[in-house]
Amino acid sequence: MLEVEDLRVAYPTRRGMTEVVRGVTFSLGQERLGIVGESGSGKSQTGRAILGLTPSPGQVTAKRLEFDGQDLRNATHAQWRKLRGARMSMVMQDPKFSLNPVMTIGAQIVEVARLKRNLSRAVAKTAALDMLAAVQIRDPERVFAAYPHELSGGMGQRAMIAMMLVTEPDLLIADEPTSALDVTVQLEVLGILDRLVTDRGMGLIFISHDLRLVSSFCDRVLVMYAGRVVEEVRADRLHEARHPYTQGLFRCLPTIEGNAGPLPTLERDAEWAI
Amino acid sequence: MLNIESLNVTYPGGVVAVEHADLFVRDGESFGIVGESGSGKSTVLRAICGLAPVTGGQVLLDGTPLSSPRPASFYRRVQMVFQDPYASLHPRHTIDKVLSEPLAIHGFDNREQRIERALEDVGLGTGFRFRYPHQLSGGQRQRVAIARALILEPKVLLLDEPTSALDASIQAEVLNLLDRLRAERGLTYVLVSHDLAVVAHMCGRLMVMQNGRIVEELSRTDLQGQRAGNAYTQSLLAASQGYRRG
Repeated sequence: MLEVEDLRVAYPTRRGMTEVVRGVTFSLGQERLGIVGESGSGKSQTGRAILGLTPSPGQVTAKRLEFDGQDLRNATHAQWRKLRGARMSMVMQDPKFSLNPVMTIGAQIVEVARLKRNLSRAVAKTAALDMLAAVQIRDPERVFAAYPHELSGGMGQRAMIAMMLVTEPDLLIADEPTSALDVTVQLEVLGILDRLVTDRGMGLIFISHDLRLVSSFCDRVLVMYAGRVVEEVRADRLHEARHPYTQGLFRCLPTIEGNAGPLPTLERDAEWAI
Repeated sequence: MLNIESLNVTYPGGVVAVEHADLFVRDGESFGIVGESGSGKSTVLRAICGLAPVTGGQVLLDGTPLSSPRPASFYRRVQMVFQDPYASLHPRHTIDKVLSEPLAIHGFDNREQRIERALEDVGLGTGFRFRYPHQLSGGQRQRVAIARALILEPKVLLLDEPTSALDASIQAEVLNLLDRLRAERGLTYVLVSHDLAVVAHMCGRLMVMQNGRIVEELSRTDLQGQRAGNAYTQSLLAASQGYRRG
């Protein structure tokens, strides 16, 4: 469904162009793909570049960037408008900053549904209410009429997922969708995403810094370091990862079962960044 | 050492943040408080420092009830490290200024040596002394925040989510630093975190809070043996294992 080859994102600095994503290659089908890395590894920039959302003056180049056979590299504004929202969507980290604070949740979802699926007002409203129920909001009517500030973090994130999914996209990029949520709520939101991938055959790119969470949720994981993919592993084989960075990242996490001795720290090798 | 008796905290507007909290922390112990957002765990720390509107109960240090506002002598014995190292350091003060201010307030001598020593102790070195916070990474800033708290040689350190804004590899370094400092100086820690694994690693005893109430108190061995009596604690334990399909 999605083919990415040698994706590069660069930003101009005083010392010339600095590449923050340096040759990322992968393909995605109907699966859950995790992208893991620490801050500054380029994982979010990769997600944004796929949707053409790299902020100016950033520059994106790629040997191949194809979604469902369409070349995205030189897509026009009109092409992007047809794709974004309708066929590929993005869920951001914090619902507080991604929802419009002066529109009700319902109005925002209806707007997306009408614009992207050309639904009539009445049909769009039904679709929005159904979607809110699908993300396990107990009282969809109340949330439909509520403003973002009236919702908790978990509710807001569900409302945002509902908004992104009301258009029934084929590809969803979720950038730290649960990092701002409490652990128990986090698992509920992941459960919703999981079901949508399974039931609708959606492709999901799950971007996160949380190695443990990603390994328990995704099928496949790309580990990024300094703008490159240093390793690709099956999620259930993460403990067998070969790259010293992945190993270090996994081991430095404290565990409940572990002893109280010092945690192994990550010794960075300058060669990883080359 | 540190004692809380039936503490109540109510914010203006009637929001009850903490209800009937009792807590006893022994000398030299590392005590953890776990809970989700809004559970009142940070408010307990702020109440100890005199930063929250206490509406009932009392806080005792070495058996003596603390007066409000807290006297300067209190802050020489109890210091706090906050969650966000980006927000807790003054952006226009150099590290030198950040560290010398508490020394000046409390009338310490040998300030030069104390600042240099504090920077060495947290593994930064004196090269960082005249930098500004924006020239440091998140982990380095949190080390500065720890140095600032320790420069007054307190006995108790209150840690409010000290590593949740940091990357996993940096978190390991800061946790190891905190562990080493506690062993070297016989410090007492009260550590607040939403991460059960961090608390299990750092603390011998912990309590779980939910909606402003203490739901359970247990030891690290209880936690490791999955011996949680309370349903909420059990759900936190299950959640810390990651996602389970089906």
